[in-house]
Amino acid sequence: MKPYIVRRSLLDGLTVAVFLSVALTLIYNPTDAQMHDLGMISFIFLCGMVLGAIISFVLNAKGIKTFGENIFEPDYEKAKGEAKPFFRTFWGWHFFVTVFVLFIVGIYKTKFSMYELLNEDGFAGAKRLFAGLASPNWDVLPTAVLNIIETIFMAFMATILAIPFAFVLSFMAAKNVMKGPGAFSVYLFIRTVLNVTRSIEALVWAIIFSVWVGIGPFAGMLALMIHSIASLTKQYSEMVESVSDGPIEGVQSCGASKLQTIWFAIVPQVVLPYISFTVYRWDINVRMATIIGLVGGGGIGTMLIKYQGQAMWPEVGTIIVVIAAVVWLMDQASAYIREALK
Amino acid sequence: MNSNSNSEPILKVKDLKKTYPNGVQALKGVSFDVKRGEFLVVIGLSGSGKSTLLRCLNRLHDPSSGEVLFQTDHQGHSIDIMNLHTKASIRDLRKKVGMIFQHFNLIPRHTVLANVLMGKLAYTTNWKSIFGLWSASDKAEAMKYLKLVGISEKAHIRADQLSGGQQQRVAIARALTQNPQVLLADEPVASLDPATCHTVMDYLKKVNQELGITVICNLHFLSLVRQYATRVIALKNGELVYEGDPKNIDEAWFEKIYGQGAKEVHIN
Repeated sequence: MKPYIVRRSLLDGLTVAVFLSVALTLIYNPTDAQMHDLGMISFIFLCGMVLGAIISFVLNAKGIKTFGENIFEPDYEKAKGEAKPFFRTFWGWHFFVTVFVLFIVGIYKTKFSMYELLNEDGFAGAKRLFAGLASPNWDVLPTAVLNIIETIFMAFMATILAIPFAFVLSFMAAKNVMKGPGAFSVYLFIRTVLNVTRSIEALVWAIIFSVWVGIGPFAGMLALMIHSIASLTKQYSEMVESVSDGPIEGVQSCGASKLQTIWFAIVPQVVLPYISFTVYRWDINVRMATIIGLVGGGGIGTMLIKYQGQAMWPEVGTIIVVIAAVVWLMDQASAYIREALK
Repeated sequence: MNSNSNSEPILKVKDLKKTYPNGVQALKGVSFDVKRGEFLVVIGLSGSGKSTLLRCLNRLHDPSSGEVLFQTDHQGHSIDIMNLHTKASIRDLRKKVGMIFQHFNLIPRHTVLANVLMGKLAYTTNWKSIFGLWSASDKAEAMKYLKLVGISEKAHIRADQLSGGQQQRVAIARALTQNPQVLLADEPVASLDPATCHTVMDYLKKVNQELGITVICNLHFLSLVRQYATRVIALKNGELVYEGDPKNIDEAWFEKIYGQGAKEVHIN
C-alpha cells in the first residue's frame, strides 16, 4: 500500500468522525454523564474514523477526490488530472463543510456571545480599567525598573547557560552527523527527549521549579533555560542538517576524525546562524520571563500579578508601559543584530 | 617522464563493484592497474561511475565488493583498501591518498593557510588541531606547497575571496600537505574557465613529474586528456570500456565511449 494512503485515511477519517459526533450530539442530546463517558465517546469517534476511512477509500477508488487525497497525494498523481476550480470539486466542498462545522462547534465551545461583549455593566468595568491603565502611577516606576532588570537577567542567564548544552546537543540531534546504527539511536533518543521537553510549556516548567527551588527568579531562570536548551538545539540542529557536503568531503579526504570534521567543516558553516538564533532566543526569553513571573517565576511578572490581584490599575499601567518599552527595545536590537550578521 | 611501462603497479583494482543503498549500480566490476608515477585519466559520461570510482579508492564511499590493493612502498608493504574496518586504518589510508574536487571543497570562511593545514589533520590530535596548535614545521610545509602552486602571497586571505582557479590551487596545496603517494582529482577543471583550466592542469602535471606523485584524474575534455594523460581508462555505465594510450582514442572509440552522434568539443 502506498504510504500516503494512511495519512489520507487519517485525515478523511477525522473529518467524518467530527461530522458523526456533531450529528449524534444534535440527534440524541446526550446528558452530562454520557458526555463524561470517555470510553464510549472515544469508541464512537474511532468508529467514525474507520467509517470515514472506508468512505474515503471507496470514493477515491471511484475517482472522486477527497480532501485528504488532494492534500497527501504525490505530485506525479496530481499531474495526471486536470485542475478544476475548487468549488467544482468534491474535495473543495469537503474542506469547506468541515471548516464550517468546526466554526459552528467553536462558537458553542467558546461560549461566543455578542450580548456579553456589548453588555453595559461589563463595558463600564472595562472603561474603568482602561482609564486606570491610561493614567499610570509613576510612584511604582523605580520598583518596576528594578524588577524588569531582574527579568532581563533571568532571560540573559537562561540563554547563556543554554548555549553550551544546545551547542553540543545540536550535533547529536542532526541526522547527517549521526550516521551508523549506534549513532542513529542516540539521535532518536535525543530528538525524543527534546520534543517532549519542548512540548511542555515554559510556564509548566516554572511551576515545577518553583516547587523545587522555591518561588523567585531562580525558578523562572531554570524554566527558561530548559525551554531554551530544547528550542535552541532544534534550531541549531536544523542548521547542521542543511550544511553543504563539500567542505565535509574536503576535510574527510584529508583523514579528519569525526570531531575534526565537525569542528572544521560544519562549525564554520553554522556559527553565524547560531549567533542569530541565540540573540533571538534572548529576545523571546525576555517576553517569556514576563509571563513566567505570573506563576511565581520572579521579576516584573510577579509584580504585575500582585497589583492586578488588587485591581490597582494605575500601577498595572506603569508596569505595562515598562514591559512594552523593554520588549520593543529588545525586539529592535535583536533585529538589528541579526540583520548585521547576515 | 617518471612513469615507465615496466614499473610495478601502485594500485591494483580487481572486479570493483559498488551498489548504492537506493539500488543504483555505479560500478559493475571494474579491473585495472595504476602504475607508480603515471598520470592516469578516467573519462566517461556523467553518471558513468568516475566519481564513485575515485571515492572508493580513498573510502569516502565503501565499495560493495572486489579487491583494491595499494602498494605503499617498494618492499612489498601494501594496504588492502577493501578490508579497512577501523577509523584509524581509514585515516592511515587517507594520509597517503590526497584528493581534489570539482567544487574545490575548501572551508570558505577560513584563511588559505588554515585550509592548507587541513592536510595535516590526520597527523594531528583532535585537541591540538581544534585549538589551532599547528607545529612550526607543519606551517612551513603548508607555505612550501602554497609557494609551489604560486599563491603563497594569499596565505592570510579568506578562501572565499579567491577565484575558482586559485581555490583549486589551494586545494592542490592542501592535498600535497598530506604528503600523499596518490592524488585523486575528481573533475578538477569542470567548473573553471578554459584559460584557468590549463593553469590548474599544468600544476597537476608539475606535481606528477616533479614530486613523482601518481595522479588519477577524472576529465571531460579529450583535448586535455591527450595533452596531460600518460594513460587513459574509459568507463561507460559502470564498466571499463577502454584502456590504453590517449593518442589511440579515435573517432570510433570516442563514439563508443560517449554514445552515437557525440561530437568532440575542443578547448584551448
